[in-house]
Amino acid sequence: MPVILEVTNLTKTYDNNVHAVKGISFSVERGEVFGILGPNGAGKTTTLEMIEGLRPISSGEVILDGIKTAEEPYRVKQRIGIQLQASAFFQNLKLTELLEMFADLYGSTINSLELLADVGLKDKANFLVKNLSGGQKQRFSIATTLVNRPVMVFLDEPTTGLDPQARRNLWELIAQIKSRGTTVILTTHYMEEAKYLCDRVAIMDDGKIVALDSPDQLIKQLLARGFKPHVEVPPATLEDVFIDLTGKTLRD
Amino acid sequence: MNQNTRSFLALTKASLKMYYRNKGAIIFSLLIPVALLSIFGFLSKGSGSSIQIGLTNHATGELPKQFVETLKNIKAFKIKEITEEEATAELGKGNLDLEVIIPENFGAIENGKPITSNIQTLFNSAKPQSGQIANFAIIEIVSNIDRKLTNSPSVLSVKSTGVTTNNLGYFDFILPGILSMTIMQLGIFGVAFSFVAMKASGALRRIQATPVHPLYFVLAQATVRLLVTLATASLLIAFGTYIFGFHMVGSYFNFAIVAIIGILIFLGIGFAIAGWARDETQVAPVANLIQLPMLLLSGVFFSRDGFPSWLKTITDYFPLTYVSHGLRKIANQGASLAELLPDLIGMGVWLILIYILAVRVFKWE
Repeated sequence: MPVILEVTNLTKTYDNNVHAVKGISFSVERGEVFGILGPNGAGKTTTLEMIEGLRPISSGEVILDGIKTAEEPYRVKQRIGIQLQASAFFQNLKLTELLEMFADLYGSTINSLELLADVGLKDKANFLVKNLSGGQKQRFSIATTLVNRPVMVFLDEPTTGLDPQARRNLWELIAQIKSRGTTVILTTHYMEEAKYLCDRVAIMDDGKIVALDSPDQLIKQLLARGFKPHVEVPPATLEDVFIDLTGKTLRD
Repeated sequence: MNQNTRSFLALTKASLKMYYRNKGAIIFSLLIPVALLSIFGFLSKGSGSSIQIGLTNHATGELPKQFVETLKNIKAFKIKEITEEEATAELGKGNLDLEVIIPENFGAIENGKPITSNIQTLFNSAKPQSGQIANFAIIEIVSNIDRKLTNSPSVLSVKSTGVTTNNLGYFDFILPGILSMTIMQLGIFGVAFSFVAMKASGALRRIQATPVHPLYFVLAQATVRLLVTLATASLLIAFGTYIFGFHMVGSYFNFAIVAIIGILIFLGIGFAIAGWARDETQVAPVANLIQLPMLLLSGVFFSRDGFPSWLKTITDYFPLTYVSHGLRKIANQGASLAELLPDLIGMGVWLILIYILAVRVFKWE
C-alpha cells in the first residue's frame, strides 16, 4: 500500500529544555487505522500536533500526502481533519450552524444534516453542543473533522471518559470512516480499542517509539520471548458481562 | 469569493449569532448605563433642569434693566433676585449655580463716555458645569452690550448666541461621559472575558486546527464587538434623547467617528489582556486595574478642573479622557474634528501603542 504519512527523526524540545519527542520515525499507509499507544506524557499528543501543523517542529521532517508540514502547514490542514483531545466549540450555536461554519473555513460545501446522520446525530441537528451527552459530543467532534472530506483524520483519545456503549459506538463510527478509504491516526489508553480498531500500532514511551507492528504480531513477538501471563485469563471479562446485560446499542 | 473573505464572513456570522443569543449578557451590558443615565436624568430634572442664577442689582438706569431682561428671557436660566449675603449662603448649599452681581456704576456715563465697570460672577464649585455654561452666556451678553456701547462691529456674535440658547444642563454633560464609560467597559471587559474563555476552553485551538489563519478569527471578533458597541451607544443616545431630552449640539457623524476610534482603542486593550491571560482569573484584576482609575479620573462623571495640577496632567493622557472630552466637546459645544485635533492625535498614539503591545503579548494558548 502507498504511504500517506512519512515521519523522519521527529523531535520536539521545549524552551525549558524538556525533550518531549526524541527522534521518532514511522510511516502510515493510505487507508489504514494507525494507533499510537503510551502512558500519559509519552509524547503522543505532541507528536500528533507536530504532524498536524499545530506545533512547530524542533527537528526532523513530516511529509503528509506529499506536503512538508513545516513548510506548508495551512495546505496540510486543508487536507486533514483534526479532533483535539479537549474539543470545545462556540457556545450558543446549533450543530448544523457549527458544521456549516467549519465547512466555510475549508471552502467546502456540505449537507450538514447528511453529515449528522452519518454520525448518528440527525435528530440533534438543532441542539447546542452543551446539551449533548459525552458520547454525542465526541461523535459531533468527529463530524466536524469530516466537513472537508479529509484524506486523513487525527483523533486524539476519542473515547477517553466515555461509557462502554458510547465507546463501542464510536469504534463503529471509526470503522465506518476507514471503510470509506480515509486514513485514521488515533491515540488511546485502551488496549482492547487498539486491538479492535488498529491495523498497526506504535507504542511510545518517554518520547520514543518502543515497538511498532500490528497488534497480533506484537502479541506473537511477546509470546515468542517466552512470556506467560501472571493470571489465568478468564474466557469472559466483566466488561463483556456489562455489555451483555445493558446491550451494545447506543442509549444516550 | 476569496477563501479568506469567506472564512472571515463565516466567523463573523457565527460570532454575531453567538452574541445575540446570549440575552443575559446583552441585558446586563445595557442595564448599567441605562440605570446611570436614569439616575442623572432624574437628578438634573429635580433641579428644574434649568440653571439657577442669583442676581443682585446695585445699579439703576436703562442699561442694567435691559441686561436683567435679557437674562430673564433665556429659557435655560431661572433668575432669583436676592442680596449678596443670601446668594453666598444659597451657593454654599448648592441651590444656586451662579451668582451675578451688577455694580452700581454699571452702564453709567461720565463726561459723555461709558465708564469701565465689572460685573462680578461667582459660581458653585460643586456644579462647575452649569455654572460655567451660565458664566459663558453672561460674558457673551455683556460683551454684546459692550460692543453696542463702544460701537465696534459684532461680527462674531451670531455663533455664540446660538450656543447660549442651547438649554444645556448636567444631563447633557453626563451623557457623553456615560457613553465613553460604556464603550470602555464593552471593549475591555466584554472582549477580554469572552475571548479568554474561548482560549481557555479550547474553542480557539479548534479554529487553529482549520486552514484559516487565527488572525481572521480575531478580526471577526473585533468586527462583531465594534457593531455591538455602536448599536449599544445608539440605543443609549436614543434613550437619553427621548426620555431626558439630551441635546446634541454638534454633528452625529463627528460623534460617531470619535466613538469608533474610542471603541478601537478599548477593543485593543481588551485583546491585549485576553491575549496575554491564560484564563478568566487573570483577566479580572488586570482589567479592573486599567478601568477603575480611568473611570474615576478621566472626567466621566465630573469635571477634572478641581484636580491638583500634577493629577490633571497625568489624567490628560488617559485614553478615556481623550474619548470623553472629544465626545463632550462635540455634543455640548458642536466642536468640529479639526478643533479636536489634539484629542485625535492622542487617540491615534494610543491606538498604535495598544496594538503594538497586543501583538507583543499575545499568546494563542
